[in-house]
Amino acid sequence: MTDAAEEPTELTEYAELHGCSCKLGRGELDSLLTDVGITAPQSELICGVGEDASARRIGDDRTLVSTIDFFTPIVDDPYQFGRVAACNAASDAFAMGAWTDLTVLVVLGLPRTATDVATDLLSGIVDAVDEMGGVVAGGHTIMNPWPIAGGAVTAWTAEPSVLRTAAASPGERLYLTKPLGTQPAMGALRVEDGEFGRTVADGTTRPIGTIGEEALAWMTTPNRAAIEAAREFVTAATDVTGFGLAGQAKLLAENAGVGVSLTHLPVIEGTLELSRLFGYGLETGESAETSGGLLLTVPESGAGAFEAALSRADVFYREVGVVTDGSGVDLEDPTIEPIGR
Amino acid sequence: MERVDVRGEVCPRPALIVRDRLADLEGDALLVEGDYQPAKGNLTRTCSKHGYEVEDRSAADDDGFELVIRPRETGADDD
Repeated sequence: MTDAAEEPTELTEYAELHGCSCKLGRGELDSLLTDVGITAPQSELICGVGEDASARRIGDDRTLVSTIDFFTPIVDDPYQFGRVAACNAASDAFAMGAWTDLTVLVVLGLPRTATDVATDLLSGIVDAVDEMGGVVAGGHTIMNPWPIAGGAVTAWTAEPSVLRTAAASPGERLYLTKPLGTQPAMGALRVEDGEFGRTVADGTTRPIGTIGEEALAWMTTPNRAAIEAAREFVTAATDVTGFGLAGQAKLLAENAGVGVSLTHLPVIEGTLELSRLFGYGLETGESAETSGGLLLTVPESGAGAFEAALSRADVFYREVGVVTDGSGVDLEDPTIEPIGR
Repeated sequence: MERVDVRGEVCPRPALIVRDRLADLEGDALLVEGDYQPAKGNLTRTCSKHGYEVEDRSAADDDGFELVIRPRETGADDD
């Protein structure tokens, strides 16, 4: 147990919840929005609350997509934390089909005793935004007991509509563009050096460090290439976050008035065993994901062209299920595919 | 009943602490007291998966949680 008088030495030790698992639960969020009366569609917007980002028509031919996302440290390395935070924040705009003129206002909060990591953290954000073809236009920085990083993101699209979860239709195929398992991978890194190091190392056949490096590589892979390659073929899109694959699929099912049947779960090799050890529910799609992949629906007729386009762009994808005319999410004995980079 | 206090511990440590205690359990049940809400679901999930019954004894007005964990009659380990 951490001695209260002792200053944390690692970034993740400052916070009790890490990455996207610090999100308010679905039920609590719905209740909060109901309390303040933000539940009905907002006439000023194409869409807003309940989607990954808001979309508003500006002028005659452009749609402005705006979103904000920030969270607590998922890794101790401040530079990598910055990269993950930037990829995660921009992902919500990509999930709506917008990436042009990507602009990021940084949200940064650090404990007074950890301000020395600010340069590395901000460098990580700036480099990741640069890699995504965007610009860091400013931001806001505060002192905060839990470190937080992320950004407010805008981008626009000339498409007459944005991608929404509500547009999914029965019969469409469901694809995922990153494997799952970031939560058990990062959890294992947090305990590998302590009293449970042996238990965790024995719990999986791969070195914890390798699993962690692969999870980090996926979390710092921007979803921009995926959406650019996929855009013309998909009808609905969202990104997989703290609600996990099943939670995000449930959101899609509710918004579109459809059912989702999940049949295949690609997971970072080694994370299934770790998840079973920690009780994270990876095999039931409940494990929280940080900076996860895009969940896309594609009509059967366009699936071949979609797969070819993602392959050409060197973007990972797996077919994970199908949209049905039922309701909710069905996940009965899915095949689980370990993915090694 | 044997007890283990995982208050102040955050995931994945509660699951690992409880796992060790269950391995050495001499009585017929282990009472787990915790205050980190995500651990409640994770403990329930991993213990159910590994052949235990989990009873939620948490008080509705308490920020913490209490779980009573017992080996299932069959003792089967799903893994």
